[in-house]
Amino acid sequence: MPFWTRVSATNKGAVMKKLWNKIWNTLRSDGQLCFGVVGILVLLFVVVAAPVLTSHDPYFYGPDSLAAPGVNGHLLGTNHMGQDVLSMLLYGVRTSLMVAVVSSLISGVLGVLIGGLGGYFGGKVDLVVSEIINIFLMIPTFFLIMLIISLFGSNIKNVMIVIGITTWSSNAKLMRAQALSLRERTFVKSAIALGETRVQVLFKYILPNGIFPVIANTTRGMAGAILTEASLSFLGLGDPNIISWGQMIYQGKEYITSSWWVSTFSGVAIIITVIIFYMLGDGLNHVINPKYSQGGKK
Amino acid sequence: MKKFVFRRILSGLLTVLVVFTLNFALVKSAPGDPITSLMGKETDDPVLRQALMEKWGLDKSYPEQYLSYLKNAASGDLGTSIIYNRSVNEMIGERVLATVLLGLTAALLALLLGTALGIFCARHDGSWIDNLLSSISYATDAMPSFWLGLMLMIVFATNLKLLPSQGMFNVRAGYTGMRHMLDVLQHLILPCVTLVIITMPGYFRITKSSILQVTNEDFITTMRATGMSEKKIFNKYIFRNAILPTVTMFGISMAFLITGVSLIEIVFSWPGMGRLTLTAITQRDYPTLMGVYLVMSISVVIVMIITDIAYALLDPRIRYE
Amino acid sequence: MGAILTVKDLNVTYINKTRRVMAVRRASFSIDKGDSLGIVGESGSGKSTLAMALLRLHPKSTEITGEALFDGKDLFSISEAEMNELRWMKLAVVFQKAMNALSPVHRISTQIEDIYRVHCPNASGEEIQERAMELLKLVNLPPRVYRLYPHEMSGGMLQRVAIAISLLHHPQLLIFDEATTALDVVTQGQILREILEMEKTLETTRIMITHDMSVVATTCNKVAVMYAGELMEFGMVKDVLTRPRHPYTQGLQDSFPSLKGENPKLLSIPGFLPDLSKDIPGCVFAPRCAHATERCRREKPPMTKTSEAGQAACWLCVGDENGK
Repeated sequence: MPFWTRVSATNKGAVMKKLWNKIWNTLRSDGQLCFGVVGILVLLFVVVAAPVLTSHDPYFYGPDSLAAPGVNGHLLGTNHMGQDVLSMLLYGVRTSLMVAVVSSLISGVLGVLIGGLGGYFGGKVDLVVSEIINIFLMIPTFFLIMLIISLFGSNIKNVMIVIGITTWSSNAKLMRAQALSLRERTFVKSAIALGETRVQVLFKYILPNGIFPVIANTTRGMAGAILTEASLSFLGLGDPNIISWGQMIYQGKEYITSSWWVSTFSGVAIIITVIIFYMLGDGLNHVINPKYSQGGKK
Repeated sequence: MKKFVFRRILSGLLTVLVVFTLNFALVKSAPGDPITSLMGKETDDPVLRQALMEKWGLDKSYPEQYLSYLKNAASGDLGTSIIYNRSVNEMIGERVLATVLLGLTAALLALLLGTALGIFCARHDGSWIDNLLSSISYATDAMPSFWLGLMLMIVFATNLKLLPSQGMFNVRAGYTGMRHMLDVLQHLILPCVTLVIITMPGYFRITKSSILQVTNEDFITTMRATGMSEKKIFNKYIFRNAILPTVTMFGISMAFLITGVSLIEIVFSWPGMGRLTLTAITQRDYPTLMGVYLVMSISVVIVMIITDIAYALLDPRIRYE
Repeated sequence: MGAILTVKDLNVTYINKTRRVMAVRRASFSIDKGDSLGIVGESGSGKSTLAMALLRLHPKSTEITGEALFDGKDLFSISEAEMNELRWMKLAVVFQKAMNALSPVHRISTQIEDIYRVHCPNASGEEIQERAMELLKLVNLPPRVYRLYPHEMSGGMLQRVAIAISLLHHPQLLIFDEATTALDVVTQGQILREILEMEKTLETTRIMITHDMSVVATTCNKVAVMYAGELMEFGMVKDVLTRPRHPYTQGLQDSFPSLKGENPKLLSIPGFLPDLSKDIPGCVFAPRCAHATERCRREKPPMTKTSEAGQAACWLCVGDENGK
C-alpha cells in the first residue's frame, strides 16, 4: 500500500528526513547508481547552463568551415557550415534528453496500462493483450519507425512519438508479469473484499506497486531512444532544424575522410550519455532487486 | 509438441497479416505518393497522372488494392517497382544474398567468439580478462553501430589504407573466380568486424552469467557427489543447461538479421537490403517497400518459430506450455 | 560391530572476501556399522555443512580441519582421486529439494547411466537398466519412471528416485540431507516407512539430517543435537529423547506439541542464533539458556559422558560443578 497515504500530517516532517537518509545511503551503497545519478545531474546542468558554458552560438554559421580541433578558439573544431562542434555538443544534450524522456514517457505509460490491464483482468482480456504484445515484439521496430518518419515527416516531435508508440512492448511484458503476481496478494484481495471496484484496485494498488521494475527498464528505454534517434538522423530521416548528435554524425559523414572530428566527437557524446543511462538503470535494478546483481555467486 | 508448433505457426501467420495490414495502412495514409516522384517536380499534367495511376492500379479503392496485393503476395508475386520498373522479386533477390552473407558471417563469429570468451570468463571469474571484457562490453553497448563503422573506416581505410571502405567488391577490376571471392572477403572485413564488435559482448555476457548460474545449481552438486569428473559435468550437464539463453539470443539475432545489418550496410555502401529499403522509403516506392517489409516480417516469424522449436527440443520443460 | 565413521574435531569455515564464518566447530562423534544417526538442529546449526564436508563438496575456499575416519582412511587427507573412488561407491547422499537435484534437461535414464558409469565405465545400457529397475521396485516406483524427465514427476516420486540413485553401488554409508523436508507430511511418512523397510534387506548405515525431531524419533537409533555449529548432545535416541540432559535438547522437546492430548504451554526458545563469524567464548547456547551461569558464559563446556553411550556439552552435566 503506498505508505504516504498512511502517514499523518504531523509526522510528515520526520518521515521526509528519514526518506532523505534512506536515499542518501542507498546512493552511497551502489557505485553504478551513484555514477548514474551524478551523471544525470551533470547532464541536467548542461541542459540548463548550455548558453553560459559555450563560447560560440551553435546555430551561428561561422567563417571557419571544417576547422580542425584547436584552430581559432574552436576546441573541437567546426563543421562544414562553420558551427562550433563543442557548442553543438553541449546544446545537443537538450535534444537527447528531451527525446529520451518524452519517448520513454509515452512508451512507459502505454506499456504499463496495456500490460497492467492484461495481467490484472486476466481471462480473455489477457489473451488478447498477450497476443498483441507478442506481435509487437516480433515487428522489426526500427524499420517501422523509419517508415513512419519518412511518411509523416521528420520533425523531432514525430520522432519522439513514434519511438514511444513502437517500444512499449517490453514495458508491457514486465508490467503484465507484475500484475499477474500482485493480484494474488492478500492486500489486493482484501481491497476487493472490502468493496473497491476492480478499476480502483488497478490504479490504487496494482499499478503503483508493480511499476518499479518498469522504471528501471525505462531508463534502458531512454538510452535506446537516444540511439534510435541518432540512427534515424544518420539515415537522413532526422530533424534538420534541431541540433542532435545523430545529425552531427550524419553531416560529418560527408567529410569523414578529411575532417574526422565532427562525427567522432558527437559519437563520443552519445556513448557517454548512454552509459550514464545504463548505469542508472543497473543501479536502480540493484536497489530494487538485490538478487539481480549477485546472479551466480553463492 | 505438435500442438506447440501448431500454435506458434498460427501466431506467426497472424503476425505477418497484422504487419502487412499495418504497413499497407501506413503507406496509404501518408502524404506524398510515387506518381509525383515519377512525374518529377515540373510536370503536373492531370492526363499523365491519371494514366500513370491506372497503370499502377492506384486509381482503385483501398480495399481493392489491399486484396489484390494480398492475393499476389500469397502467390509469390511482390509486384513491380514503380520507380525502377523492375520486378520487386528480382530487386530483393539481388540484394538478399549480400545481406545474408554479411549478417550470417558476423552473427556466427559473434556467437562463437562471445560464447568461447564467456565460458572462459565464467571459469576465471574476476580475472583481468574478465574485467576487461566486461568493461568493453559496457562501452560497446552504448556505441551507435554506425559510428563504430565510421571510426573503423577512418582508421583502417582512410588513414592506414589497409582495407577498402565501400562496396562488396572492386567493380572496376572485374575479378572472377577465386580472386573475386578474395576481393569480396577483403571488402567484408570492415563491416563484419564492426558488427562483431557490437554484438559479441551480448553473447559473452549471457553465456558467462548463464554458466555461473547453472554451476551453482543443486544438480551440479549432486553430480559432484557421485564422483563425476569436472570435465564431464561441464561438457554434458552445465553446458546443456546453460546454452539455452544463448540459443534464444542467436535466434533473435537471426530473426532480425536484416534490420540489424542495415545501418552498417549503409555506412559501407554494402549492396544489401538496407540500402534498398532506405531508397524505397524516401522515394515512396510502394511495391518495393511493401515487398521488403513483407519479406522481413516473414523471415522474422519463420526464424522465431525455428528458434522456439529448437529451444523446445533442448529444454523438455517448454514443450508442455 | 565396529565404528564405520569417526569424526574428530571437525571445523568447517566458509571464507569469502569479507568474512570467515565458522559453520561447524569441533564436532566429534562416532557411528557404528548398522546405526542410524539423526543429526538434529535448527536452520544454521551446521548440520548440512557437516554432511557436505564429509563428501568434500565444499568449494576450495572453504577451510576444513579435523579428521573423519571412514573405511580406514581419513576423508580429509586423501587425494581428490581417492575421494572420487569413495564417492557413491562407499558413501552416498540423498539431497533435499529433489526437484533441482537432477538435471532438468536430461532424462532420468541418461543421468543414472552417467552416474553408474563414473565407477563402472564399461557397464552396458542393459546392465544399468536392470539395476535401476531393481532399485525402482525397492522404492515403490513403476518402471516407466526410468524414461521420464524430472519435471514430469511429483516431489515424492523425485525423492524416491534420488534414494534409488544413491543405492546404485551399494554404499556402506548413506546420508539423507533433509531429504523429506520439502514433502508434505503424508508423503514424508510413506518415504520414511519405505526407508525402514529397505534397510531390512540392505546393510547400509544411515545418517539422517533433519530439523524435525519426530523424524529422528521414528527412524533413528542414535541422535546428535547441533546448535550454532557445535554438538550439544549425543546419545541413543531412547535415552536422549526421554531424558534430555542438555538444556537445548530440552528446549527442542518442549517446543513440540504432544499428540497425546495434554496441552501444556508450548515453549519456544527465546533469542537468536549467534554470529558465526565471531569467536564465541563460553557455551554457544548460553545467551539463550535459562540455566546459564557465569562459568557457562566464560568457558566452553567439554563433552561429558552422561550415560553409557551418551554425552552432552554442558556444565550442568559436569558433576562437581554448581548447577543452578
